[in-house]
Amino acid sequence: MNVKGLIAVAIAYGALLSCQEELDMSEPGTLVPQTVMEDSSLPSVTLNGTSLHAETYGNPDSNIVIYLHGGPGADYQNGMNVSQLAEEGYYVVFYDQRGTGLSQRHAYEEYSIQLYLDDLSAVIEHYKSDFDQKVFLFGHSWGAMLAAAYINEYPERIDGAIFAEAGGFNKDLLDEYGENSRKIDVLSELTSDLLYYDQFLTGTVDEHELLDYKLAIASSFTYAENNGEGIEGPSPFWRNGAIVLKAFTDVSENEGFDFTTNLGQFQTEVLFIYGENNQSYGLSFAEKEAEFFPQSRIVQIDDTGHEMIHFKWPSVQPVVLEYLNSLK
Amino acid sequence: MIKNITWILLVLLTCFNIRGYAQVINWGSLENSDHIISAGFEWDYSVSYSLGYAYRINTETPILLRGKFSVPSGENVVDDFKTMVGAEVVVLDHSRIKASISAQAVYRRYENPLVRMMNFGSYFNCAIGYYHSSWFIAGEISFDNAIVSNLKHSESFRQTIFSDVKDGWYQPTNAGNFLYGVQVGYSLGKSDLTLNLNLVTTQDYSTTPLIPYYLRLGYNYRFD
Repeated sequence: MNVKGLIAVAIAYGALLSCQEELDMSEPGTLVPQTVMEDSSLPSVTLNGTSLHAETYGNPDSNIVIYLHGGPGADYQNGMNVSQLAEEGYYVVFYDQRGTGLSQRHAYEEYSIQLYLDDLSAVIEHYKSDFDQKVFLFGHSWGAMLAAAYINEYPERIDGAIFAEAGGFNKDLLDEYGENSRKIDVLSELTSDLLYYDQFLTGTVDEHELLDYKLAIASSFTYAENNGEGIEGPSPFWRNGAIVLKAFTDVSENEGFDFTTNLGQFQTEVLFIYGENNQSYGLSFAEKEAEFFPQSRIVQIDDTGHEMIHFKWPSVQPVVLEYLNSLK
Repeated sequence: MIKNITWILLVLLTCFNIRGYAQVINWGSLENSDHIISAGFEWDYSVSYSLGYAYRINTETPILLRGKFSVPSGENVVDDFKTMVGAEVVVLDHSRIKASISAQAVYRRYENPLVRMMNFGSYFNCAIGYYHSSWFIAGEISFDNAIVSNLKHSESFRQTIFSDVKDGWYQPTNAGNFLYGVQVGYSLGKSDLTLNLNLVTTQDYSTTPLIPYYLRLGYNYRFD
């Protein structure tokens, strides 16, 4: 091999690279959007020692519907259709949970289920202006698990709940859902897409921007063709929270959890909705979760999957509205 | 940083003419073989298949020039791949106890519905072990560093996630993974059957890849 030729190629290549301006992965706004800590124009509330990306729709004096997004580590953008409940007389509150979406990031060690419950208590306290104002929780996926955890701990503070495909109210149910929804073929392109880029991007636990970006790239796995959760395609989100996902995954694996121990004390009827095309959930799984409550109703949303709130809101809204109006 | 890449490339490419390669070699059975072709079935972040070639420089101390091309499993065989070229040399040769080091330049590509990545990196390996003519066992440690990556995002990414995402060259602060483990092999005639078992961790040991293992089952065929 000709050494001089190779050196010339290397120098030419180096010169080519030198012409390019390098970007900083750790700078918010390059690979991931800025959070409320960097962009003061974002709507936010500061409570319980953190700043949350949050917004509201409707009359502040109306009964409150608090939307709890999925994840852990997703955000509320793909649940924005719920804001239409404001036109039906509800005060709709959205917030990105601590450490995800456009809310403030924290260290891995700080996260706990109790902290998330305390955040929700602070959100309710912040937006509830009248003692008689009812508070309903509308949780999707992980958000529905969080709603159950909250009712399990503070049943007297909540006046009704909608559970949209909770991933499991305890560790056993979560494992069952996980086994059904995450069957992968290790030889497939889909699996390679999920795993192969680990060698391109490596982040430490405090590099939130990089880790959040890595998680965002993996999102195409969830809506791949013939996915088991019946997800129709990509749905919008702002920014994942990789550390909070890791923290709660570790909590689940190391400590386990059970949000069902006190659900039997909640006498108000609750609503379960599920997508017809989610092969991992279905009527049988909904019935297992509904059994923890004294009163419940279960409704199938036809021709959709796990992301029914984004893709089939016209079918979801009347079911939710009928339920909420029955509790007025 | 760009200077670092240029420097690495210069060193590696200069080495081409005098040194060379890095599949798993039984130094005890190399004898007079000048060429080695290899094939591998790997867990290299995901299931992968590899082909390699090594050429031994005719020196007193065994030196190999080597190249390797691997692709992960999947229906689309051209969107993701990794190429490695470099050199490997024995630095300790005490009877059947031998140690080798290798340095390779890496170019890899990845694409999914959201992003296309191209990366230039480096791969350094050190192995020390017992090499018999018909078998060997060695411990090894490697450092896989993704030095600089070019990212180009799809319209889907911009429409559903972040419209203002910036395409271009990125240099991560911590972009390296350590691999450490063992390599074993059995040699018969001109053939070697080899196995690598490695754990993978990030360079600050705080996180791991989703699947923190590197496994490789390889076959070498040596000829003059």
